[in-house]
Amino acid sequence: MAIDPDEWGAASDFDDVSGQVAICGVGDSDMSKASGRTTQEIVGQAVERALADAGLAPTDIDGLMYSPMPEQFGVAAFHEYFGTSHDIWESRKGGGTTGAAVAPYYAAEALRTGTAKYVLNTFGVAWATQRGDMTGGPGESHAQDLFKQNLEIPLGWFPQPVYFATIARRHMHDYGTTEEQLGAIAVACRRHANLNPEAVMREKPLTMAQYLASPKFVDPFRKEDCCLISDGGGAYIMTIPERAADAPKAPAIVAGVGLGTSYTGTHWAQQPAFTSTPAVFSAPAAFAMAGVAPGDVDLYTCYDPFTIVTLMQIEDSGFCEKGAGGEFVAGDTLHFDAGKLAHNTHGGMLSHAYVLGISHVVEVVRQLRGEGAAQVDGCEIGVYGGYTGPQCSTLVLRKGS
Amino acid sequence: MAARDERDHRVEGHITRAAFPLPDLTWPLTAEFWAGAARDELLIPVCDTCGRSRWYPKAECLHCDGEPYTWTAMSGRGTLFSWVVVRHPFLPQFADLVPFVPALVALEEDPAVRVPTRMIDCEPADLDFDMPVTVTFREITFTGVDGSVTAPLFVPAGSAE
Repeated sequence: MAIDPDEWGAASDFDDVSGQVAICGVGDSDMSKASGRTTQEIVGQAVERALADAGLAPTDIDGLMYSPMPEQFGVAAFHEYFGTSHDIWESRKGGGTTGAAVAPYYAAEALRTGTAKYVLNTFGVAWATQRGDMTGGPGESHAQDLFKQNLEIPLGWFPQPVYFATIARRHMHDYGTTEEQLGAIAVACRRHANLNPEAVMREKPLTMAQYLASPKFVDPFRKEDCCLISDGGGAYIMTIPERAADAPKAPAIVAGVGLGTSYTGTHWAQQPAFTSTPAVFSAPAAFAMAGVAPGDVDLYTCYDPFTIVTLMQIEDSGFCEKGAGGEFVAGDTLHFDAGKLAHNTHGGMLSHAYVLGISHVVEVVRQLRGEGAAQVDGCEIGVYGGYTGPQCSTLVLRKGS
Repeated sequence: MAARDERDHRVEGHITRAAFPLPDLTWPLTAEFWAGAARDELLIPVCDTCGRSRWYPKAECLHCDGEPYTWTAMSGRGTLFSWVVVRHPFLPQFADLVPFVPALVALEEDPAVRVPTRMIDCEPADLDFDMPVTVTFREITFTGVDGSVTAPLFVPAGSAE
């Protein structure tokens, strides 16, 4: 497909599913560093908790979504874990990362047509346990890309912390973004994690002075700019709003979904808009479907592998002008109790756990119910921004009754 | 990319190609790039149909859908687009390299082409955005890996080689 070089990506053309799907149950596993557990054990625990939260039995689940990554919780794993054998519709268009936002879009048809009544979306990793076995560690999937093997890695441009530190430095040049502004993101997430008993970094405070004193191991990044490596997973259960009204907890209603793709994929060095993310495409689409504006959002969670990725998604989602993200996030803007743009109130991948976004959606649902550990006052509209390599996704959730 | 499964040398998450992270000089899509470097030439593919550079070298041109392309020698001049200073070896094979300065260089002939490279023979504190840089060809080696390959690295323009 030939493209205009200025058009570096596009939004997927999604049908309007606003109001058609509700999230009626959420759960996540214990979050930890290396635990010795398998991915299936981790996800199974999250699913048990989501079922209890929704007041459902394993046999009620007749739809299952997960990501196409290895070791995910497919139908066979579900049946093995719960000792069940009933028919289950399945789709690999869910899971974590971008899938945690677009799973409701693909579940909508199965729910509308009666193919499934309750669709479970799960994701989990045991990467903290497994990291020593992978050539590239969490960079493994990138190391397997042959353009990277033959044009990037031999020159040392690898792995993710190097990609995104390179982007951060250019963002600093283009827009005047400072290290302290990136630090404000890390500090806000850590404060939220300190309030969250489930967060891996719950007992480790981080002040701005500590952030600035930390060595720049991949300059301009400090380790506090980078997400954790964790064992953990999460799950949420979707149904139609009419059925969700019978659930024990208030449902979260899917108001809008968007998906954006960059044509240069994970070859970030060649992305024409070097300091942008495909949230430029996904967020306007999701907000339009939801009929809300960025200014209406009470809670913004996003996939946060690095502080700069949060900063760019905040800009690209329209919470501020492009390039103004540094000034926007400075100070207490992102804190749960500042009354501005509460962000990653569970601690995010920077300080809760690196479970690739599934816990962000779990957190949004809890916040809409008023169950957050760092609860945002009057939280009625919450957003999750997913990111993975070539794509960004945006999920707008509204408080149900 | 039909060749992928046969050529990525992967077994259960391990890249088994012994020379990794040296490049695979036999991979068809980049073999010319490395053959050029061995002759001290920085080669970039240029689309035969629309005349635009095609970086990275994909089967189809992103701009015109054309297929044939020609590896073309560049001047080796460019500007420093961005860089980082790596003080932690992300791969054990990088152990003897740190600290080093992976960088992206925008080429003079087409600044949309950003070449992943390393800045050498300079102090990181002296680097600046969009400063003129020049290619230099050096042997690269990795800790615990046999062999070496000639690679296009960059230095600040005007500095002695």
